[in-house]
Amino acid sequence: MIRTARARHQGATTEDTDANRGHGSVKKKIRGLSFSSSSSVASVVALFHAAVAISLCIPGLARAQPPDNRRVVTRSDRSGLSLRPFVMGTEQSFHATETFETAFGQAHEPFIGGGLQVVVQDRYYVEIGASRFRRTGERVFRFNDENFRLGLPLTTEVKPLEVTGGYRFHPSPTLIVVPYVGAGFGSYGYTETSPSSDPDENVDARHSGFVLTGGAEVRVHRWVHIAADAQYTHVPGILGLGGFSKAAGENDLGGIAARLKVIVGR
Amino acid sequence: MGSVRARGSCTAITIAIAASVLVVRGQTPVERHTIFENLGLPAVDEGLIVDETHAPNTPESRRRASTRAALHATSGRNSGRYVAGRLVVKFRDQATEGERMSAIADASPTARLERRPSYADFDIVRFDPAEDAEAVAAALGRHAQVEYAQASYTGWHTMMVPNDPLYATRQWNLPMINLERAWDLQPQAGSAITVAVLDTGVAYQNATLIETIPAFFDDSGNSYPALGRVTIPYAGATQLMAPGRFVAPYDFIWENAIPLDFDGHGTHVTGTIGQLTNDGIGTAGVAFNVKIMPVKVIDSVWDFLFGSPNEATDELVARGIRYAADNGAQVINMSIGRAGPPNRSFVVEEAIKYAVSKGAFVSIAAGNDFEIGNPLEVIAEIASRVDGAVSVAAVDRAKAHAYYSSTGSWVEMAAPGGSERGFGRDGFVFQQTFDFNFTDTFLMPPSQYIAPRFDVLAYIGYIGTSMATPHITGVAAMIMQQGIKSPAAVEAALEQTAIDLGSSGRDDTFGFGLVDARAAMRGLGLAK
Repeated sequence: MIRTARARHQGATTEDTDANRGHGSVKKKIRGLSFSSSSSVASVVALFHAAVAISLCIPGLARAQPPDNRRVVTRSDRSGLSLRPFVMGTEQSFHATETFETAFGQAHEPFIGGGLQVVVQDRYYVEIGASRFRRTGERVFRFNDENFRLGLPLTTEVKPLEVTGGYRFHPSPTLIVVPYVGAGFGSYGYTETSPSSDPDENVDARHSGFVLTGGAEVRVHRWVHIAADAQYTHVPGILGLGGFSKAAGENDLGGIAARLKVIVGR
Repeated sequence: MGSVRARGSCTAITIAIAASVLVVRGQTPVERHTIFENLGLPAVDEGLIVDETHAPNTPESRRRASTRAALHATSGRNSGRYVAGRLVVKFRDQATEGERMSAIADASPTARLERRPSYADFDIVRFDPAEDAEAVAAALGRHAQVEYAQASYTGWHTMMVPNDPLYATRQWNLPMINLERAWDLQPQAGSAITVAVLDTGVAYQNATLIETIPAFFDDSGNSYPALGRVTIPYAGATQLMAPGRFVAPYDFIWENAIPLDFDGHGTHVTGTIGQLTNDGIGTAGVAFNVKIMPVKVIDSVWDFLFGSPNEATDELVARGIRYAADNGAQVINMSIGRAGPPNRSFVVEEAIKYAVSKGAFVSIAAGNDFEIGNPLEVIAEIASRVDGAVSVAAVDRAKAHAYYSSTGSWVEMAAPGGSERGFGRDGFVFQQTFDFNFTDTFLMPPSQYIAPRFDVLAYIGYIGTSMATPHITGVAAMIMQQGIKSPAAVEAALEQTAIDLGSSGRDDTFGFGLVDARAAMRGLGLAK
């Protein structure tokens, strides 16, 4: 029993070490990505690739682990209910491409936020997340598919509050990577202000939308996990009712986002 | 110091005049019309004159117009609606020289092709003045190699009708179009934009004129004596002149580069576009930092009496439009027009399309003839068919239809043109121009008739679609400065943000509505 226990202990140590090695290589990749507002569409793609890389490469590493490691992973993660706070960074490519490109010079923007995840029996999860994006661009005008920037400041803020639930897959007991899919709904706050506007000319609206998510999570420390996923949101009812978005025929404030989450907890 | 400068100026003028007299005596024939540019005493500024006004269809306005018409008629230069012995033709590009000559010969045996004038994509054909120009043009127009041919139509007139510290007390018209808040958005007020003013010229510099004024008969047959050789002082409008303000001036009436205003209309219109503002003097202008390109295409009574070689015709105005576009004008103001018939002007239409294609926005007065038959306004009607050109109707101080403002399918926008009805003198549009008591001396009885002087300036109230049009022009200049460079997009911005007046949507009285300068410049947010 003592030997077995030591073996477990050693195994756990080895697992953590290997996982950290794997995490180290992933971290290097992630550091190469930028969440700055000036990043290009390429960064969204790169972030998505990182998510895919995590979900594909880490399992390979995990499979190489000694058999003793498996039991530790499966037993600890499947024990009841865990509360896991997280922080996240998102790079979203908006569906309203022309609207955002004209006003801000690009159609993908960074969101920063956080939330709380509740995991039940390591299989089911419910997550509430809030994030925020704020950017100042210019007021614009559109005529016959020709767009003009007017040099008048326009500040937009988007504040999603999303509740999603989903399923965490454990395709093999040897995997330390947990793929997951989820869906949910969100309430999306949107403000649009301009120094030249009267109060009634500004926009302060909130509308619901829905969310689809898929990605993978990997444990990098006993209490720390990193998750990368892709998220699709559809948010009608804010854009397309007036202003440039109406002129451009774009009515969805949602988009496709690559998200990176750092989760704390079991 | 002032008196020393004044003495110096007097001495300089005296020497110049003496020199000119010596020079002209040695020549045969004597030059009837001589301008010494930038030589003259400063203007006499009389400030606000409330009781002198220019309004459409007043006895004075009618006399100015009829005297000008009578002078042209008695000269034998035109036969009422068009110039005798002259027409405008545009051949197809592929037409050979032989085909052109053949077409001209077929139309009239006396016809000959003149050398193509500057700023024209058309040619001038001369023929026996006894022949009917419209008949010759029709014959020429039937030739396969002719795109269009038309008589050289006259009937051009300003859309005025004529009337600032004065901003707070007199300029109701600028706050009406939400201009104060537009200036908040753009304090530089159009500084990168050049606006061409096609009109009677502009008082843009001081000068001394030496003229030989002949006798004439007015429209009532009264005989006015010859004034002989006279020296006439001329002063630029003090509230328009600033360093670098005026670019590429040209006078198509005199075919020279000194488009001095001998009427006052062009100067008043220019004031509404770009009167110097925030200087504590006089009135304000809409886009008060724009560069002004004075292009004279409308002759006045004094142009005729000074011996001008040309009068306002379709092709001359068309050349003016092309000149403005070719010399960098981004906005063209045409507080001018003519009524039909004929109800088309191919040469002007092509010129307007050319200007728009070169990136110039054109604003055109919709006409002042509502109460006199409300005829089709030929040039304004062209604007309604060209994206990037707008025709402008007038509203009074209560945002109601101004009694004179022509209505019709061609009306696209409305702006303050003023009206005395119900408002008296408070209903006029005030800007600095000549005190016409000193310029329009031909309106006096023959016994009191004296030479004019163009150095007495005052803030005078005018009314008319001529006054409405420069409001749109100024706002268009500010929109362009804001970043909307395409003329068609400028028109769209104006129309989409206009304050709807009258029946809902576009109507024949107000078009899309009253211009809202701030709304047009603000453009759109993302969601609102």
